[in-house]
Amino acid sequence: MEAQSEPAVVELRIPCRPEYVGVARLALLGVASRMKFSYDQVEDVRLAVGEACTTSVEWATKNNRADTDIVVRSSIADTKLTVDIIDSSGERREVSDDQDNENEPESLGALLITLLVDEVTVTPLNGGTHVKMVKYAG
Amino acid sequence: MNFSIDTYNMESGVPVIKLTGEVDVYTAPQLKQQMIGMLEAGANQILIDLTEVEYFDSTALGVLIGGLKRMRERDGNLSLICPNPRIRRVFEITGLDKIFDIYNSADEAKIAIQLVP
Repeated sequence: MEAQSEPAVVELRIPCRPEYVGVARLALLGVASRMKFSYDQVEDVRLAVGEACTTSVEWATKNNRADTDIVVRSSIADTKLTVDIIDSSGERREVSDDQDNENEPESLGALLITLLVDEVTVTPLNGGTHVKMVKYAG
Repeated sequence: MNFSIDTYNMESGVPVIKLTGEVDVYTAPQLKQQMIGMLEAGANQILIDLTEVEYFDSTALGVLIGGLKRMRERDGNLSLICPNPRIRRVFEITGLDKIFDIYNSADEAKIAIQLVP
């Protein structure tokens, strides 16, 4: 295989609802499995993508945007996997309520993502959010 | 979706929730409902068996944290059986392995829980 080839792109569009998050995880399991990742690294990717989609779903629910989609785009280079998760879940604006532990999962999700991938950036879009994560193999 | 939830009691009467498959944003609400039911029935010890779980996300962790908090308010406890290193890792990297009592098997949990007065 020639070095420095253009990244292959796999793109998936799923409804922004809880029952479809597993579909995105399964797709990424397939993508990561065919790269030079260890078994643990494949699991990291699966979990990180699941967490990012879960956050999108949670915001869509809060913002009444459950009828929107999430686009999950994987760019597969030799030893680098870039996953773009783009939602239309509305603005991620925390309303200050003191509902004890209800905010816990989301912050745990963000923590997990930072621990599981090598780079992560979160960019607000007009009416949504773009999460970009990078994982290096090896 | 690959998920199921079963409940049974240990000989000592401690209720066990046994989960199988993927526990995530879609399925974790069922765990929450089951746990709330046990809390309302007055349980002060609950054991969650994750032996057959193959995926566990932050939503599921959040449900367990909520359950543990409520149990501790009544001087009870919520413990876990989790022999699977992949699932255990989720607890370890988030530091939650220091908050929960995690056992490797039902037998180990049985002995430990019986030692608690």
